[in-house]
Amino acid sequence: MRAAEMKTIKMSATDKMLAYADMVAPGITSCEGCNVELTMRTVLKVLGPNTIVAIPPGCMGGVQTVGWEDRMGTKIPVFFPLLDNTASMLGGIKKYYEHIGRHVNVVAFAGDGASVDAGFQALSGAAERGDNIIYICYDNEGYMNTGFQRSGSTTKGSWTSTTPVGAAHKGKKTHRKDAPMIMAMHDIPYVATASPAYIPDLIAKVEKAMQVRDGMAYIHVYNACSTGWGYQPCKSIDICRRSVQTRFYPLYEVEHGKFKLSLDIKQPKPVKDFLNQLKKFRHLSESDILEIQELVDRRWNRLLGLCQI
Amino acid sequence: MEKLVVVDGNHAAALGALLCRPDVVAAYPITPQTPLVEHFTQYIADGALDCAILEPESEHSAMSILEGASLAGGRTFTATSSQGLALMYEPYFRASTMRLPIVMDIVNREMISPQTIWGGPQDSLSVRDAGWIQIYVEDNQEILDMNVQAFKIAEHKDVLLPVNICFDGFYLSHMTEGVLVCEQEKVDAFLPKYLPEHVKLDPERPMAVDPLTPGAYLQYYRELHMQAMDNAKKVIQQVNDEFAQLFGRSYGGLVDTYRLEDADYVLITMGSLTGTARVAVDYARQKGVKVGILKLRSIRPFPKELVQQYLKGRKAAGVVDRNVSFGWHCGITYLEVLSAMGGALNMPLLPFIGGLGGEDLTIELLAKAIDYIVAAGKGRYNTPQQAIWLVKGEEE
Ligand code: SF4
Repeated sequence: MRAAEMKTIKMSATDKMLAYADMVAPGITSCEGCNVELTMRTVLKVLGPNTIVAIPPGCMGGVQTVGWEDRMGTKIPVFFPLLDNTASMLGGIKKYYEHIGRHVNVVAFAGDGASVDAGFQALSGAAERGDNIIYICYDNEGYMNTGFQRSGSTTKGSWTSTTPVGAAHKGKKTHRKDAPMIMAMHDIPYVATASPAYIPDLIAKVEKAMQVRDGMAYIHVYNACSTGWGYQPCKSIDICRRSVQTRFYPLYEVEHGKFKLSLDIKQPKPVKDFLNQLKKFRHLSESDILEIQELVDRRWNRLLGLCQI
Repeated sequence: MEKLVVVDGNHAAALGALLCRPDVVAAYPITPQTPLVEHFTQYIADGALDCAILEPESEHSAMSILEGASLAGGRTFTATSSQGLALMYEPYFRASTMRLPIVMDIVNREMISPQTIWGGPQDSLSVRDAGWIQIYVEDNQEILDMNVQAFKIAEHKDVLLPVNICFDGFYLSHMTEGVLVCEQEKVDAFLPKYLPEHVKLDPERPMAVDPLTPGAYLQYYRELHMQAMDNAKKVIQQVNDEFAQLFGRSYGGLVDTYRLEDADYVLITMGSLTGTARVAVDYARQKGVKVGILKLRSIRPFPKELVQQYLKGRKAAGVVDRNVSFGWHCGITYLEVLSAMGGALNMPLLPFIGGLGGEDLTIELLAKAIDYIVAAGKGRYNTPQQAIWLVKGEEE
């Protein structure tokens, strides 16, 4: 059953996840408890078989979704773009299918490194150009597949393998960029943030993205990474939920310029409740945490302001 | 009847590409290629062809877009120069190794630094080992005709490689000449629709493209790629001959010659400077010097056998390069010719460099090169260790 039919038949998220076929082969090699894998399987289930997916170098590229030993890692056409050209390659694919009058979901499932750093120029270009692709960024705050190097999406103060903690320096020196907000400022038809801790919300957002025909649909998913961040794998969903409940990672969507909170966090927990779960923040001082709290508050207020326009 | 138009090289290139009915075109403007993109997009805006145009934010994305469109099954075209080519190097290498028959014109321009915008094939020659077919042309008619031939070569089942048609910035791109425009029906008959079988991203036939590939497979792919390059030698010639039959214009295939049959001395050229060299050769012939031209057209694949065949039994030869190979103190095509000759070289072979950064390679300078070649053939000048620089004001 596909998105168009779902409008008439109300199914719960659980029903949908049971009814839709998994587009990813069993037994890919992601880490135990990896919620990026969960996110990928979920969104590809919703997208279904009429989909071409690009998975650039990064965790999900590295876990053999593109295939291994002559076999496919997915049941749909899949390829490895370069780290920095996912959006433009997809733009070309989509343009050809539009040219011959055939509708296909042309989708990126790309990490933050490939999206907000090296691939950002191509992403911004495709957004501005109005390429009708669905771009899903899984943001685990760094280049985790190659051993946890920092990216432009890494939170200030984080330990990473390229921003180590020592006597002289203590982790990353600057704030993470607000990638979904930057994408929203492109005034594309659809931008949303999502979390694997809120699967029904994620599913609904992918369904909306699939309806877009007049430009790019961009979904930014904040994914915890047990291996790189340092916490027990069984706590992945709890960590993701904390990021939302502390307003660290607000869930919202922007449809044709109209901002809307998907989940209003009226009584937020302090951001410390999220940070103190993670080994990568263990060295943070009270003032470091306060600085992150201030950023969280500032970004939340800015978002609220935008929601009132 | 073919229509005669008076156009510059960029316009001729746009007309040639248009005749091939590409499905998707994406190009980022850069001097001296910019008018090519403008002409092409104007034709599309005027409704000359139903072609999807994407306006990329960089050359890197231009090539990436074409890779996507080609993987989806489309015929694709773009053009660039110099820094643009350098910026797209990453997807450029990948287009050939994914065996995508993209056609890209390179309007040759020097590489920076020093800051420059003028002509010279340093850009494309520097990436000659990235797996593309590279063909260098002499005039605007050849630009148009080779753009038509390029798709046929690229899409041939024994080749399936991307093709560069390279022509000199400004000397050709901005120079106006009379050009005959092939008739559309004839081009349609000459160039059937592109139907990829080797690689395609299509939900009706799911395929994983480019998974992480172990060395043994990679080595096998490289071997096939090299074989395709070898096959291209035959195909370039076949396509040239078929084109000549249909349209009445032949360019010789991998190489062309001028007054070479009885020549003792050979001037080896490439690109637009060949036109000037023809005049220099005519003057020398008037003085009784038996000199001819071997014009290199295909640099990849390199026509090793033909170079050997055409240089056999001559007294001396020289290669004029409008580019350099740092570390060898000579030009790049000189090295190519030298390698092609290998142990078969039994005469002086002189390296000349001139015309860099759009400098004029005059008839006088080429006459000077011929004098050097003749002197070397008569034993009065040894093959030098370093290139002979052809510099204006130093003709004598
Ligand atoms: S490193 Fe992190 S994001 Fe990557 S597969 Fe492992 S748990 Fe998932």
